[in-house]
Amino acid sequence: MAITFEHVTYIYEPDAPVVQKVLDDISLTIPGNQFVGIIGHTGSGKSTLIQHMNGLIKPTEGTVKFHGEDIWQKDYPLRQLRSRVGLVFQYPEHQLFEENVFKDVCFGPKNQGLTQEEIEQRAKNALSMVGLDESFYKRSPFELSGGQKRRVAIAGVLAMNPEYLILDEPTAGLDPVGRDEILDQVSRLQKESGITVILVSHSMEDVARYAQRLIVVDDGHIRFDDTPRNVFRHREELEKLGLSAPQVTYLAAALKKRGFAMTEDVTTIREAKDAILQALSAERENRSGNGIQKKEQVKTDD
Amino acid sequence: MIKDITIGQYYAVDSPIHRLDPRVKLVGTVLFIVSLFVAEGVFGYLAAAGALAFVIHMSRVPFRFMTRGLKSILIIMLISVSFNIFFTEGTPVADVLILRSMTWEGLEKAVYMAIRLIMLILGSTIMTLTTTPNALTDGLEKGLGFLKKLHVPVHELAMMMSIALRFIPILIEETDKIMKAQTARGADFESGGIIRRIKAMVPLLIPLFISAFRRAADLALAMEARCYHGDANRTKMKPLRYEHCDRGAYGCMAAYLVLILILKFVWKGWIAG
Repeated sequence: MAITFEHVTYIYEPDAPVVQKVLDDISLTIPGNQFVGIIGHTGSGKSTLIQHMNGLIKPTEGTVKFHGEDIWQKDYPLRQLRSRVGLVFQYPEHQLFEENVFKDVCFGPKNQGLTQEEIEQRAKNALSMVGLDESFYKRSPFELSGGQKRRVAIAGVLAMNPEYLILDEPTAGLDPVGRDEILDQVSRLQKESGITVILVSHSMEDVARYAQRLIVVDDGHIRFDDTPRNVFRHREELEKLGLSAPQVTYLAAALKKRGFAMTEDVTTIREAKDAILQALSAERENRSGNGIQKKEQVKTDD
Repeated sequence: MIKDITIGQYYAVDSPIHRLDPRVKLVGTVLFIVSLFVAEGVFGYLAAAGALAFVIHMSRVPFRFMTRGLKSILIIMLISVSFNIFFTEGTPVADVLILRSMTWEGLEKAVYMAIRLIMLILGSTIMTLTTTPNALTDGLEKGLGFLKKLHVPVHELAMMMSIALRFIPILIEETDKIMKAQTARGADFESGGIIRRIKAMVPLLIPLFISAFRRAADLALAMEARCYHGDANRTKMKPLRYEHCDRGAYGCMAAYLVLILILKFVWKGWIAG
């Protein structure tokens, strides 16, 4: 159970005078049941990388395997692969086209050739997974709000029951509430149904909070591939790549510099809160100790 | 999936021809085409070919880019050439079989016709190869400015043209994106009969139209927000202004026209004498 990249290189225009390697000799394994974050600045090759995972792009060199089988061998069922590796593009609401929400979500399962009953069951499940109830079914996708549209689009991919769900910046352009809702739902889905989620994001906070594993892509290479905590220890290197650590990590570092007895090793708000509270209580103990000494001094002065 | 589509056929290098004012190139192309029909006799065509070769050389565009345009008119050219050969009255070429209906006069006409057509295409290809579509629109707007007096909305037409040109690559990119997104949802654009393929286009076309409308509305709003109000009192960031080389180019054109005319009368006199 895995998506495997073996020395994958992708060249945008092989005939061009200056060969530009979008991906350069990438080897990677993504096993089942993981929450993987992918970060990298614009143009680093993230989008090209994820489009290799469901066979939308053919590598120039190297092989991509799904469950051990080369997906570009002859007669490999690519359409079936695409329903097992669901890919939600950036701004997925731009792909909606049906007259109502329910029909649009049915598009994926219908292409899988299921029976009408199964199709509808899948669509209902998918819509409830993204938190849209029956009152939405008959509404036109074009009259919904941005966040709702995006959830419909994600449901459209979920309805195909993928084993892998790839999300390319699913929260771009959403308000904070919409962002948290979508990511919470995806995270719950990952825990409950055991699918693998691959989240491409520009938000260090988001990947720190949700991902178990973080892949940093830069200039067609994988620079880091580790837990978010370990990756964010390399603050300076990340900054050189045009990235950063989560803001709370900087806060923790700044506090430590000011003399607070606390760890820099925090990546989420909750961790930061705990670390700061701990540091504060330690401080208080210190100060109250000092205070007693001072009082004693005052007494002796008397 | 969709790439390698270039709009117009602009070839980006820096050359004296590229730097010329688009109006000069427009006028030059029209004059050159007129000159092809005015010219007469071997020397006239030699002069035209010489001028063309000079401009091609100055433009620094590889010659194979020029000949691409010729492929598209090959069939038209073959038809008109053979019509000329066979249907012009005069002395037959020889008294055998098919050659009986070919005439020397027809052959001569056909050769001139072919040369004219080839040079005509090459001449106008040069213009599109060395001028960006936007510069061309600018040139048309300014060059046809006199039509405003006749209440032809020249500026608005030019604006529409440049917006349309600007949007083509955007829409191509958008098509590619939507195609990929629907492919990821199991859509199949490649197999099946005609009816199935047309039906398969629906999930592509509807989002594409919606995005085109959205972009158009956004653009209109952005123009409104910048107080765009059409032609009146509008200034340009890069106004077209004739430079020395543009005047020089006009001079060369005039000289070329005079030369063609002289050659024409000399040739006529020579034939008559």
